Amino acid sequence: MDEALRIAVNCRHYAMCKIDFLGTGVCPSGLAHHYVSFYPEGRMDLYAALAKHRVPVTEECVRIVESCDLCGRCDKQCCFITGLRPTRVMEALRSLVAAHLAAGRPVERPAGDLLLARIRDIVGERWATNDPAIRATYAHDPSPLALFRMPRYVILPGTREEVSSVVRLLRDAGVPWAARGNATNLMGFGFSEGAVLDLNRMKEMEFDEKNWCVKIGPGVTAFDLQREAAGRGYRVNVAEPAALVCASMMCAGIVSLFSTAYGASADSHVDAEFVATDGSFFSLNEKNAPNLYAFDRAGAESPGICCSLKVKLHPVTTDEGGVLVPFDSLEKAIDFSRECAVRRIGIAIGVLGTEYLSSFMSPSVRLALEIRDVLTGKLGMACAVLVLGDAYALGSIRAMGHPLIDQRLFTTLSLGLPSLAGAQWLDLVAALGEDEPFSYLKIGGFADLAETALCPSPSRLVQDFDPDLRQVYEEAYSRPDLTDLVWLNMFRITSSRVGREKHFLPFLMYLPLDHGLVSEVSGGLQAIAGAKGLKNALGFITPVDSGKRCILEYDYFLDQNDEGEIERMRQAAAEAGALIDDLSDRTGTIRWMRYIFQQGYCRKENLLYA
Amino acid sequence: MREASDRGAGTLNETDGGRLFALTGATGFLGSHLMAGLIRAGHRVVVLGRSRNGTGLADRVDALLDWFGLESCRERIDAVEVDLLEPRLGLSRRRYDTLCPLTAGIIHCASDTRFSERCRRESMDINVAALHGIVTLARDAGAGCFHYVSTAYVCPTSPSLCAEVPAGPRAFANVYEEMKTLAEAEVAALCSRHAVPYTIVRPSIVYGDSATGRSNRFNALYYHVRALQLIRDIYLNDIEHHGGLRSRGAGIHLDDEGTLHLPLRIFIPRRGQVNLIPVDHFVAVMAEILGDPRTGTIYHVTSDAPRTTEELAGYCERFLRIRGIELVCGEEMDRTVQNPAEEVFNKLVKPYLPYLADTRRFDRRNTAKLTAGLSTPEMTYAVFERCMRYAVSVNWGSTNGRPPGAM
Ligand SMILES: Cc1cc2nc3c(=O)[nH]c(=O)nc-3n(C[C@H](O)[C@H](O)[C@H](O)COP(=O)(O)OP(=O)(O)OC[C@H]3O[C@@H](n4cnc5c(N)ncnc54)[C@H](O)[C@@H]3O)c2cc1C
Ligand SMILES: NC(=O)c1ccc[n+]([C@@H]2O[C@H](COP(=O)([O-])OP(=O)(O)OC[C@H]3O[C@@H](n4cnc5c(N)ncnc54)[C@H](OP(=O)(O)O)[C@@H]3O)[C@@H](O)[C@H]2O)c1
Ligand code: SF4
Repeated sequence: MDEALRIAVNCRHYAMCKIDFLGTGVCPSGLAHHYVSFYPEGRMDLYAALAKHRVPVTEECVRIVESCDLCGRCDKQCCFITGLRPTRVMEALRSLVAAHLAAGRPVERPAGDLLLARIRDIVGERWATNDPAIRATYAHDPSPLALFRMPRYVILPGTREEVSSVVRLLRDAGVPWAARGNATNLMGFGFSEGAVLDLNRMKEMEFDEKNWCVKIGPGVTAFDLQREAAGRGYRVNVAEPAALVCASMMCAGIVSLFSTAYGASADSHVDAEFVATDGSFFSLNEKNAPNLYAFDRAGAESPGICCSLKVKLHPVTTDEGGVLVPFDSLEKAIDFSRECAVRRIGIAIGVLGTEYLSSFMSPSVRLALEIRDVLTGKLGMACAVLVLGDAYALGSIRAMGHPLIDQRLFTTLSLGLPSLAGAQWLDLVAALGEDEPFSYLKIGGFADLAETALCPSPSRLVQDFDPDLRQVYEEAYSRPDLTDLVWLNMFRITSSRVGREKHFLPFLMYLPLDHGLVSEVSGGLQAIAGAKGLKNALGFITPVDSGKRCILEYDYFLDQNDEGEIERMRQAAAEAGALIDDLSDRTGTIRWMRYIFQQGYCRKENLLYA
Repeated sequence: MREASDRGAGTLNETDGGRLFALTGATGFLGSHLMAGLIRAGHRVVVLGRSRNGTGLADRVDALLDWFGLESCRERIDAVEVDLLEPRLGLSRRRYDTLCPLTAGIIHCASDTRFSERCRRESMDINVAALHGIVTLARDAGAGCFHYVSTAYVCPTSPSLCAEVPAGPRAFANVYEEMKTLAEAEVAALCSRHAVPYTIVRPSIVYGDSATGRSNRFNALYYHVRALQLIRDIYLNDIEHHGGLRSRGAGIHLDDEGTLHLPLRIFIPRRGQVNLIPVDHFVAVMAEILGDPRTGTIYHVTSDAPRTTEELAGYCERFLRIRGIELVCGEEMDRTVQNPAEEVFNKLVKPYLPYLADTRRFDRRNTAKLTAGLSTPEMTYAVFERCMRYAVSVNWGSTNGRPPGAM
């Protein structure tokens, strides 16, 4: 496999190339054309499809190639998260198509059909296509559970009326369809043999500060919404930055560490407008609307397409900060997180596994592996509880007496990671914790000494990157944002690094915040993955509803191109599913995300307790 | 079954030449040196121990024999995996019986040497509860004598000489002292009940070989020197590679001769000394005790000329090429503003303060009687340097550095 193809088939489809998370700009061609095919992610898929002769060189293919001027923006973005260099693929794609044209080989143009023409009548010529080069980029994701499904049409409606008309037309024509946000759901949803409705053009954002909400279209990403809200002095509860907020609501009801204070599912919104599957409109605040606030434990069909969502705005105080409280056992961490939640301390709480933590903090896989070993091996850390809050909340955490990593130390550790791995003085520190684990963190001068020892420096931190990228990353890490616990968790720009070494399959569920049950669930999931030889780790646990319940994510990892691992992952996923179902039946208190899918708009109480 | 992983199980017996001793704790510092000493003296040893981190006891013992240059003496050792807390040490009746007879004696070195209150249960288990099984073995095996390796620090702090007599309850500095004191009483009671002759050996703080400087454990004294070295290296690195801004801020600098000026006050409760003995001396004294055990006798293996804390601080400065260590006596360290290096170092040494500023002097009459002509090597700077050079050359054993804190 040549290098370009190796990169292309390793695209994780986390859609980070669609948001300007580093301030280095987004692919201009993608912004202009909207189809994912024109974004780096789609181009990678296209190159892989061409190289594997899945699609011919078509007119759209040529347009896609010609619209890339090899500006290199995608390298800056993608490499930061995945370590991949997409421009090598762009160059190879260009060469491949150039060679095709130079050889005088044909450029195909798919035959039009009547339905396509009628769809184009609704959305405009540009915004619907059956060109295989485009369709191939809407056909799969790296989920081991997703099959390659080429849609017949890709449609990008621009308004809710267009959505409604298209849905009616497809229904009448008997063509199945799927709505698509940015396809980051990781579960293989959002594909169809019929039509895919990509909602990315519908990016309206209308703030209604009087009523503490913002009305958004289904094409608005979590990152863009949070940025706008933060610019106005608010915060919204959103999840993965590249995910579209309406899609996130549909999928999981928004699962974030802020769910501790801001709630989950219907807690996040004031209202939502839908185009139902028959093309009719309804909004959740209508008396006779379909009851999307209800929750059915057996799962539900799609209620239609959410075409606008009124998202709640939350106030922000100027004294917010964060701390990480390390623990030597998951049980203690869970108890602590529950105590905080019960006492309503903090606006965001998460028990983070060391795999998560080291991946987020480390700019490279190499460092992440080293740091994970330092955290677990040398420092004896099983996990850490992240708490964000105002000065009073943080004061309460301190008063609870746990050793903790405050913002200053976190910055030191983040920027001093390269020195941390080989730091012999950590041996001393570990010994200091013999009586009380991590008690060295209580030593007044520890942060000072750590600063001197680690020599935190953005420039040293980025040495694992290719030389041409170091400057831009050094500048990024020189900004306070990238080490600021609050900012990092609001914008979550490094969270997709969890899938950098290997793609991941998350198991998400709500359950009582009880360390016995959580250990049983995570222990069971660990055993299943372990028996299949799959890397696995606890992701996070976030208390919700005053600590009565929590959201747990447990992750399985795989090489998305290794057929053997894919097969083992499928088996493991089936076993894991059976385990969760069994535990759910036994306890009556576990809600697995599989059944929440399509019901994310429900009322949290119906989901958790009804 | 444990037996499967044993090496040479049941092959050694009293007729093979030399004497046959059973030894626990042979994978530890003192125990391993004792094992080597016994082998060198022509004896044979049944090592009673456990596997660790997936490595069987036999392999662990082999690795130790290699370290001592005794690889050719493997056949003089039986490695028997046991569980000291189980009846019959967790062995089958048949296997247990093959351990007997052990007429020369049993040396019990296994111990949890951690100070931490968090380890109370494990400490109680191995230091006290386990005695029942091992003394029972001594009885069943007709052991000539049961030798219990205790610590000089069961003795109370008192202005008078600490006598070689049973220690009583008192306010203990840590769990370890408490358990060792309980253990001594238990040894006396169990051995009397089973009519097993016994001795109690009380070393003070043991460091490496005074002649070669070698050691296979780097806790106690080493730990503090290493801590100073690591703190020194943090500032040296800052000065040499990162412009030294932070060091200057903390009043730390490197002079023209390459000495680091590192103001570091160590807060100790009082002026005192550190009672240190080299491991070769401990082994030599043990050889005498094993050769002529007097039942019920307590032996202090201690130094009559312990170095003062100041002297040792001076050794550290000289060895590490630092200046600025100051011993502050009697002041409440928690009420004093400290620089970061001080805060970290003082927190590190806190559990060891009772031994770093010790005023105890130990009566050694029983030991002296037995070891006439055997003097305790003094901890001179030359010996200190030899030992620390060795430690540095092996990167302090490159272990995780957790000090078991054995004293
Ligand atoms: C690294 C990473 C971390 C993640 N962490 C989290 C997390 O912490 N919390 C969390 O909640 N999720 C998380 N996710 C999952 C993912 O972000 C969400 O599932 C989100 O829904 C996906 O948004 P999307 O725009 O990619 O939607 P898609 O994946 O495109 O769509 C998701 C589902 O919603 C449907 N859909 C899309 N838009 C609409 C619409 N407007 N109306 C109706 N249906 C629609 C689709 O058909 C599909 O079934 C994570 C994903 C990644 C890659
Ligand atoms: N070192 C000193 O300065 C000093 C000073 C005075 C007295 N002492 C005494 O000397 C003795 C030996 O000390 P040391 O420094 O050699 O200690 P060490 O290096 O820590 O060794 C302890 C030994 O005990 C064994 N052990 C611990 N827990 C055990 C358990 N549960 N089951 C079986 N074996 C167990 C260890 O086996 P593993 O290797 O399998 O863990 C190891 O062999 C102790 O009694 C101590 O009190 C030591
Ligand atoms: S190199 Fe091409 S694909 Fe990458 S950002 Fe620039 S235009 Fe987009």
